[in-house]
Amino acid sequence: MKNGNAKTKRYLEIIPACISWGILIFLACLSIFRPILSAILIIIFEFYWNIRTIYLTTLLVLAYKKLSNEKNRDWLSDCVGLAPKKDWAKVYHLIIFPVYKEGLKILRPSLKSLADCQYPKEKMIVVMAFEERSSDSRSNAAILEEEFKSGFFGYISTFHPDGIPGESRTKGANATWAAKQAKEFLDKRSIAYEDILISCFDADTCVDKQYFACLTYHFLTSSRPHQASYQPMPVYNNNIWYAPAFARLVETSGSFCQMIESMRLEKFVTFSSHSMSFKTLVAINYWPVNMISDDSVVYWKAFLYYKGDYRVVPLYITVSMDAAYSTSIFKTVVVQYKQKRRWAWGVENFPFLVEGLIHDKKIPLAKKIRRSFNLLESHISWAVWAMIIMLITPLPILFGGAFFSQTSIGYNLPRIGGLLLNFALGTSLIWIVLSMTILPKRPPDVKWFKYIMMVIEWALAPVIILILGSTPALDAQTRLALGKYMQFYSTEKVYKNIPEEKNG
Amino acid sequence: MPGADKAIIMITRNEQRIRAFLFYSSVAIFITGLPLILSFALGYKFDRRAFKFTRTGLLVLKTQPPGANIFLNETLFPAKTPATVTELLPGNYTVRLELEGHYPWINQAGISAGKVTFLEKIILFPLRPDIKQINSETLSTFWADEERGAIYYVNPEDGGIYKPDSEGRRSERVAESVPLDPPADKWKISPDREIVLYFNSRKIGITNISQQHKLFCRLPFVIDYPYKPIIDAYWHSDSYHLIIIGLRNIAVMEADSRSEPVILLSLAKKNTPSFYDTRTDTLYFLDTQRAEDGNLYDNLYKLDLNAKLSPFQELMRLRQSDEKRERED
Repeated sequence: MKNGNAKTKRYLEIIPACISWGILIFLACLSIFRPILSAILIIIFEFYWNIRTIYLTTLLVLAYKKLSNEKNRDWLSDCVGLAPKKDWAKVYHLIIFPVYKEGLKILRPSLKSLADCQYPKEKMIVVMAFEERSSDSRSNAAILEEEFKSGFFGYISTFHPDGIPGESRTKGANATWAAKQAKEFLDKRSIAYEDILISCFDADTCVDKQYFACLTYHFLTSSRPHQASYQPMPVYNNNIWYAPAFARLVETSGSFCQMIESMRLEKFVTFSSHSMSFKTLVAINYWPVNMISDDSVVYWKAFLYYKGDYRVVPLYITVSMDAAYSTSIFKTVVVQYKQKRRWAWGVENFPFLVEGLIHDKKIPLAKKIRRSFNLLESHISWAVWAMIIMLITPLPILFGGAFFSQTSIGYNLPRIGGLLLNFALGTSLIWIVLSMTILPKRPPDVKWFKYIMMVIEWALAPVIILILGSTPALDAQTRLALGKYMQFYSTEKVYKNIPEEKNG
Repeated sequence: MPGADKAIIMITRNEQRIRAFLFYSSVAIFITGLPLILSFALGYKFDRRAFKFTRTGLLVLKTQPPGANIFLNETLFPAKTPATVTELLPGNYTVRLELEGHYPWINQAGISAGKVTFLEKIILFPLRPDIKQINSETLSTFWADEERGAIYYVNPEDGGIYKPDSEGRRSERVAESVPLDPPADKWKISPDREIVLYFNSRKIGITNISQQHKLFCRLPFVIDYPYKPIIDAYWHSDSYHLIIIGLRNIAVMEADSRSEPVILLSLAKKNTPSFYDTRTDTLYFLDTQRAEDGNLYDNLYKLDLNAKLSPFQELMRLRQSDEKRERED
């Protein structure tokens, strides 16, 4: 039986890469042997992609409007206003920071942002989850304890041992270990799990001052609050003014994609730093300890546990992280590529979900098909769209020869393609404007003309689309199909160009 | 359910309604727009009278100069060249292109369904060609330096070589030449664009059109060619040696008034046609050879005169010394 499960899992792992490569190879062959048919399919795809881009940009504008509207809201007052029906003071926040190689320069600002929160610290329990194999974990833990321990209701440093059977070297394994340690802390104080919200943050996450008030408010006002994850909007503002154009553009686009997703609730899945009910986390046996994409798998675990009745509640409040970059342009491209490939490794959720759905008897079949299709479609689109637009589109013209170039469609293909591309670029103007408005305040040591550079740098978008659009996703899917499983890779985040005092 | 929860649910519902509206609008635009885009791409046109789609063709027109009016079967098309005329029903069309001050261009164009007909190399010639006299002196002949786009002409009265400007306003005297009698048939500029070779059937003249030339003798000069008559002459790529095609021989000499020609080959064929490739220093020529069947046949030969490939300079030196010795003997 176990053997059968393993086989099913392998088949499911192969499906995404097969479809992605199948689409690309099919279109490439068609361009050579049936250029007219290929040109028709390309025009259909480009038209579809244009409409999709406009639709998604509209959703981005709506999400941005919500983010702006709720920016200065006093969530704590709103929480207080819920009394006496809802007692916000009962709620505790357990905050876990899984740490791997991140040093004090990264960890201090994250803890400081917690200390600066407009939320009672006696309701906050902080867990710094270090990896025991990291050489300076003990010394760093001691320094941070000295600085921050007294500021919260609870402050725990945990050290995840290496090589626990059944575990991989993943963030989820460390977070799970830390959560179990925190559970002992909570049990000793007899704090009910249903009153605890757990937030698992990347080590570089700096929360908004109102984050925990906003989270508490949504938790208290949601129906079935334990059957929901709470997803803030990730922005990469910590070092955005100092990051090179290439990295800045990629990270801003990443934030926007997340904002768009927040408007599509039926497809919305947790990503990166997020929060959920501790009761639910314990019920689903914590994060996966052998998968890299723990942030989204934890959602699917809860989804399966609650028989499909589990959702993500978007929080229109930001959590700020570091833009990933390195010491040179080439190294930055490599760092960004590896980071995107790690995100794209979320395709491992597909076999996990489908396997779970196969064994589930209660989730309606239509919902099973819709959710697994949505998941598969999003990863396939990610892997092929830029390839089709940038590489496949010229193929019928290149391989079609004189016969194709003398046909109406051969003549019209580049013109229609150019027109649709220009139309899509028009929508990118909206992205440019929005990207300027989500920027944090310009540091005094950064010159004003950086604003102009930040507009001009969008001209790099076509290059970035080609390098970081589809390739990392295709790479991740191919690795999964070949059974070459990825290990967790801690994204390099260099604090280059940032004045020393900002580095802490 | 608390009031706040209701409010959030209402906001979410409103957003989802807006989203649903946007989604279904997008689907509607896709469904209606796609047939239009595809039919345009494939060249289909809706024929309102026949109430059906008909496949059409395209006509691409480009003219030099642009801006010509386009008449198709005597009907004026709104755009001017360069233009693409779309949605043309298959068949033959009379295309007339008219541009003020130019001869009209008229031709037939066949249009096929789903195909593009390209008429892209159309030159519209002016009605009154713009002719300008550019010499300001009497002239006997002229030649061009194609590489530099310069024109030179020779005044037969004083042997002066003049270079006019492109508008013909002024001519600059750039060199002197010793006039030949009868006048030179051909003028050829050296590969370094500094010296000019001119010749008739008996004499060869050399002069410089630049002060930067590297010849050791005084210019201009004329030499009486001993192996008359001269059929053709070429510059070697070193801009110093000359390859002379005579009536029955091929000779080389230096561009020096003291130089004597060296005969490299004797030819069986008179007045042989020849071509010299300066890039590779290769001479191509025809000559006649008797075959085993006793008949004479013309063959194409190649003579490599590249100084790097053959000991060309050495050959020149040896042949000159041999000839001197023969004469002395």
